Amino acid sequence: MPDSAKKLDGDPDIWEMHLRQPNIWRYIAVAPGWLAAIALFLMMGMTFLDVILRSTISNPLESATELTRIFMAIIVFASLPVISWRGTHIVVDLMDPLFNRVMSRLRDILIDLISGIALFWPAIRVFELAERSRRYGDVTEYMAMPQHYIGWFIAFFTFITAATLLTRGLVRIFAPARIPA
Amino acid sequence: MTESAIGFAAVLILVFLRMPIALSMGIVGLLGVAYNTNMKAAISMTGRLIIDTAQDYGLSVVPMFILMGLFVNKGGLSRELYRVSYGFLGHFRGGLAMATIVACAGFSAICGSSLATAATMSKVAMPQMRKYGYADTLSTASIAAGGTLGILIPPSVILVIYGLLTETSIGKLFIAGIVPGILGMLLYLVAVRYTILRDPKAGPAGERTNWGGRFEAIKGVWAVLLLFFLVIGGLYGALNFWPLNLTFSPTEAAGMGAAGAFLIALSRGTLTVRNSMQVLVETSHTTASLFAVLIGAWMFSNFVNLAGLPEGLREIVSSFGVHPMTVMFMIIVIYLILGCVFESLSMLLLTVPIFFPLVKSLGFDPVWFGIIVVVVTEISLITPPVGLNVFVLKGVIGDVSTSTIFRGVTPFWIVDIIRLLILVLIPSIVLFLPDRM
Repeated sequence: MPDSAKKLDGDPDIWEMHLRQPNIWRYIAVAPGWLAAIALFLMMGMTFLDVILRSTISNPLESATELTRIFMAIIVFASLPVISWRGTHIVVDLMDPLFNRVMSRLRDILIDLISGIALFWPAIRVFELAERSRRYGDVTEYMAMPQHYIGWFIAFFTFITAATLLTRGLVRIFAPARIPA
Repeated sequence: MTESAIGFAAVLILVFLRMPIALSMGIVGLLGVAYNTNMKAAISMTGRLIIDTAQDYGLSVVPMFILMGLFVNKGGLSRELYRVSYGFLGHFRGGLAMATIVACAGFSAICGSSLATAATMSKVAMPQMRKYGYADTLSTASIAAGGTLGILIPPSVILVIYGLLTETSIGKLFIAGIVPGILGMLLYLVAVRYTILRDPKAGPAGERTNWGGRFEAIKGVWAVLLLFFLVIGGLYGALNFWPLNLTFSPTEAAGMGAAGAFLIALSRGTLTVRNSMQVLVETSHTTASLFAVLIGAWMFSNFVNLAGLPEGLREIVSSFGVHPMTVMFMIIVIYLILGCVFESLSMLLLTVPIFFPLVKSLGFDPVWFGIIVVVVTEISLITPPVGLNVFVLKGVIGDVSTSTIFRGVTPFWIVDIIRLLILVLIPSIVLFLPDRM
């Protein structure tokens, strides 16, 4: 929840209430983060187990490589919308002192909108590629898991990331206080 | 060439306008590829890149090593490392600063980030040095400089990113970082010594610790040191004997490191469900932002390759008929200049796609060049005006001016340049260990 939103006085802040009270919105907002965290923990545990099994009884987990790939996709893509909303992407802020308040607001609005729009096409393409692998019936090697599931997952979260950036741009225009500092 | 130059300028403008580096490079890369082929092919390439990068097995070393550092840190390692190095060095003149350097090097062996090393160590070492009346110049400089070792001594996030960008073995890069890292530490100790010789009041001696105290201090860090030797030893193939029979791929080494760090933190009772979850979420977020820049950098790299930049650069170099070493020195000078204004990761991402093909075609070893790039990046972390470690210290400590820190850092900066020259002129120092893997 952005700190700046807490500064708003007057009517109870609906946005903040949504995120503070344990309702469906709160769960939706934090779920991807939890999903990524759990995937990361499982990946760590699995790699550990794999090495132990291999070195003690020469019997590694055959599906470890496959699962690692899937966990990686979950860790990265489930986190992208959150870091996009919070603005924790890696940036160079060397020129910040040269922009005054109005200029930097304008700049940030443009950056968010352009970034959001630019991400939509790759997202569509990722979805198309997933659809193609569904049509071809591509499955993973050991577990025979349909590959398009992970494609859909990546496409879905790329869309959400694009939408998040666009929303951030629009929120900057209409309710700038809600953007995380 | 012209297209690449325009592309590079466009990325620089966008980056300076504060657009995320990932998107600056990604968007310029996309448009550049579209210009050289067509829009459909460019978007298709981006889509493919997104899918493939996210599921890259080798990339899983990134979150695991970050996780390892964060878990170990939760166990209070920085304080204990400092206790050990103080136990052995504290009673010398300038000993607390030397202890800081050694503790930073130790912390770097678990943590892959220079900024995190500097920030963490400053909280532990600064109060001690203040207590003994150390000059701010020496105390802050030793932390800022010592912290830079974080990205050279394995594990190192920057070396992983370099390895991924250039398809160089991450295992070899890690092993290659060890000797230059230790050399860096020793030269920093010389810099402390020099500072003390010039101004004996800058760093008075601390109290001597007896052997009992030293062993007591070592007890606090042995588990973590063992973990480091397990991870790096396994990676190097040094543990491949009965009954261990352990050889690790980088991914496995990272997984073992993270799991080991988790178990150490757990056994010390410093982990709760809440802070473990925080560590996991923080690691996921850092990983995602690193992956975003990797995808962007690859897209940009595809563009400059399509536009024929590597061949263009090669032609220019051969038309002048200069010695490869002259070219290398020019590249290093460019890095040093860029390092004055760029943060380390952004500098690496922007320059490696451009210089790497040229460096490789001139016959330089990719592992060696990786280490050189990281050493130059380390120097940039303490070079004015935007030496990032200096600013991190300023942020943590508060009441010391950046100019004081930069003043104190000068001897450390000079030994860094000496180390760079040694490594450039005698590549076997870097390649000795990895060549035996």
